[in-house]
Amino acid sequence: MTAVTNLLAFLGLVVTLLIVWRQSWPGRLRLFIAQSLLLALLACVIGVLAGKPGLLVVAGVVVLLKAWLIPRALARIAVGTPVRSVAPGHSSAVPVLVAGALVVVAYVVMLPVNAATTLPTEGGIPLTFAMALIGLFVCVSGRDALGHLLGFLMFENGIFGLALLATYGLPGLVEAGVFLDVLAIVLLMEGVLLRVRREHDSIEVNRLGELRG
Amino acid sequence: MTLLLLLGIPLAGAALLTRMDGGAARATHGLTAGGTLAAAAAVAAAVTRDGSVTALDGLLRADALSAWMAGLVGLVATLAAIEAPRQVPLAEARRFYPLLHLFTFTMLLALTTDDVGLMWVAVEGTTLASVFLVNFERSRSSLEASYKYLLICSVGVALAFAGTILVYFADMQQFGDEPHALRWTTLLRLAPGLPASVIELAFVFLLVGYGTKAGLAPMHTWLPDAHSEAPAPVSALMSGVLLSVGLYAVLRFKAVADLAAGPDFASRLLVALGLASLGVAAAFLWAPRNFKRMLAYSSVEHVGVVCLGLGFGGPLGVAGAVLHIANHALAKSVLFLLSGRIRAAYGTAEIPAVSGLLAAMPLTGRGFLIAMLALVGLPPFGLFVSEVMIFAAGFQGGHVAASVLGLALLVVAFSGLLRATHRMLYGPAPAGARETAHWPSALPLAAALLLLVVTGLAWPPGLAAALERIASLLAP
Repeated sequence: MTAVTNLLAFLGLVVTLLIVWRQSWPGRLRLFIAQSLLLALLACVIGVLAGKPGLLVVAGVVVLLKAWLIPRALARIAVGTPVRSVAPGHSSAVPVLVAGALVVVAYVVMLPVNAATTLPTEGGIPLTFAMALIGLFVCVSGRDALGHLLGFLMFENGIFGLALLATYGLPGLVEAGVFLDVLAIVLLMEGVLLRVRREHDSIEVNRLGELRG
Repeated sequence: MTLLLLLGIPLAGAALLTRMDGGAARATHGLTAGGTLAAAAAVAAAVTRDGSVTALDGLLRADALSAWMAGLVGLVATLAAIEAPRQVPLAEARRFYPLLHLFTFTMLLALTTDDVGLMWVAVEGTTLASVFLVNFERSRSSLEASYKYLLICSVGVALAFAGTILVYFADMQQFGDEPHALRWTTLLRLAPGLPASVIELAFVFLLVGYGTKAGLAPMHTWLPDAHSEAPAPVSALMSGVLLSVGLYAVLRFKAVADLAAGPDFASRLLVALGLASLGVAAAFLWAPRNFKRMLAYSSVEHVGVVCLGLGFGGPLGVAGAVLHIANHALAKSVLFLLSGRIRAAYGTAEIPAVSGLLAAMPLTGRGFLIAMLALVGLPPFGLFVSEVMIFAAGFQGGHVAASVLGLALLVVAFSGLLRATHRMLYGPAPAGARETAHWPSALPLAAALLLLVVTGLAWPPGLAAALERIASLLAP
């Protein structure tokens, strides 16, 4: 069990770093789908090996929600935006370095958690937390609304992975509420951003600058 | 049963209102608001009698703290509901009233569930229900405010989710498959045996996460925008009670963290964030330009004061903080509701453009002045008493430097607020601005101000006992 969950958590982190590195929007979206599918697989593995059949349902919901419905909503939001939002000459070296540093930070922050447990899955805990931190970084450093939203979803995926590895999922009611929340956030965001585009002809949030002080 | 009514009435009202227009919508709106207040009062009465009430096999539970907060939500929601028809055109009823009652429902759910996971879902729900209320006027600036609000609060509250997972993890590591492991009552029972280092880490996440929702600096950046762009009744609810729902969540986890890691850890963090919030607010309030933003920053200030009270701790600090939450909710919601009338009359929320308020709008102007005097903490209003309690707890507990700094920042905010108010009240009134409200519309606001005099001058029997009970829940 340890080997499989560690491998999946590691692959999840690799995909996360690739999202930071990639600059074309369709590429990032495909990587996000890959990240979500890896987490669904992780839920399946833990569900089978730890005898938690509920996690198989959770995995199904993850596939439906994060690999299909939400990416479709993101694609609708992205209609009409340029494939590469970054000007030529900009490299992704600095963000990738920051993301690498965040992996170290994640290991340090999660020390007390790893010290408190002998779970077979504990090796992956800092890796999924690093995924969350990198998502947060993508979110706050995003240049447009798509970047913010993608970062938020990566952040959420990382926390979901943390919940899988640290507690083998959450009680059903809470899990259902969380999924509903994420879906509602994306759909509301779609509503808000469609209005933003109608007003500003763009979803570059830098152009929103009416509120100061 | 009363708990189910408390949640069922606003939820059913919201559902019905999605299919109603015109007079029927207003009538249903009024009945829903009145029913919610009555149910909140019934819950408070039942809790006073029995100590706590539960429903749905313990999933819903109200103790003294829940009842206190739910009562406040009921009061502020009623004030906002009475003012709403003045701000919302009848044709727009369907875009406004359902969301308003859904918003109230999510806050009440967060306050009356024993399950901290469900509480998280409900707190996130408060954001989701209110995003389109912030954007109700559909202006560019309100759109920007709602975008910031949705993004920042979602990220913040997701951090709180990570904290909740860590608490659950600590619980499961120590006690295995405990049934209802995410219930607050279970957590409190098991807290002394939880690993301190994990709980400390979890509390940092929870404080930053729910602190974002509470408007604590430096996570407050969404707050002035959302509060100033939302229609007045929504601003009143956000500032008066939504921020306190965030603080409520912090309070619940502070009780657990105190038992697991000792009281000093959470205390230090709360005092630091409280002072940061006071500092940020004082810096803005020194020279505010927009009166709705001024009121919003003043909320950051008061959330900071409440945090100081919780950080200073002890029965006096906690009781002062809880009383301050109520006092601030009443004073600030009156001010926000009046600011909606002022903005409608003057056509702007910029302070330099508003003058001669007392002459042009005698009713609104006087109400604004009285509520502002209450807000800055002058006697005989309740905020004076709760601030005295909080800072007395600070000096008694040996937090002398923090108390002195806090008081100094309060004085800065005080002078800024009064200067701005003075500028708005006096001077020549522009031709177009005049009072459209009649005196009956001032009655509910006057009642709220009267309540503030009651908490300031003469505590009714039972108030001291209620505060004592809440303090004993949180600072045993």
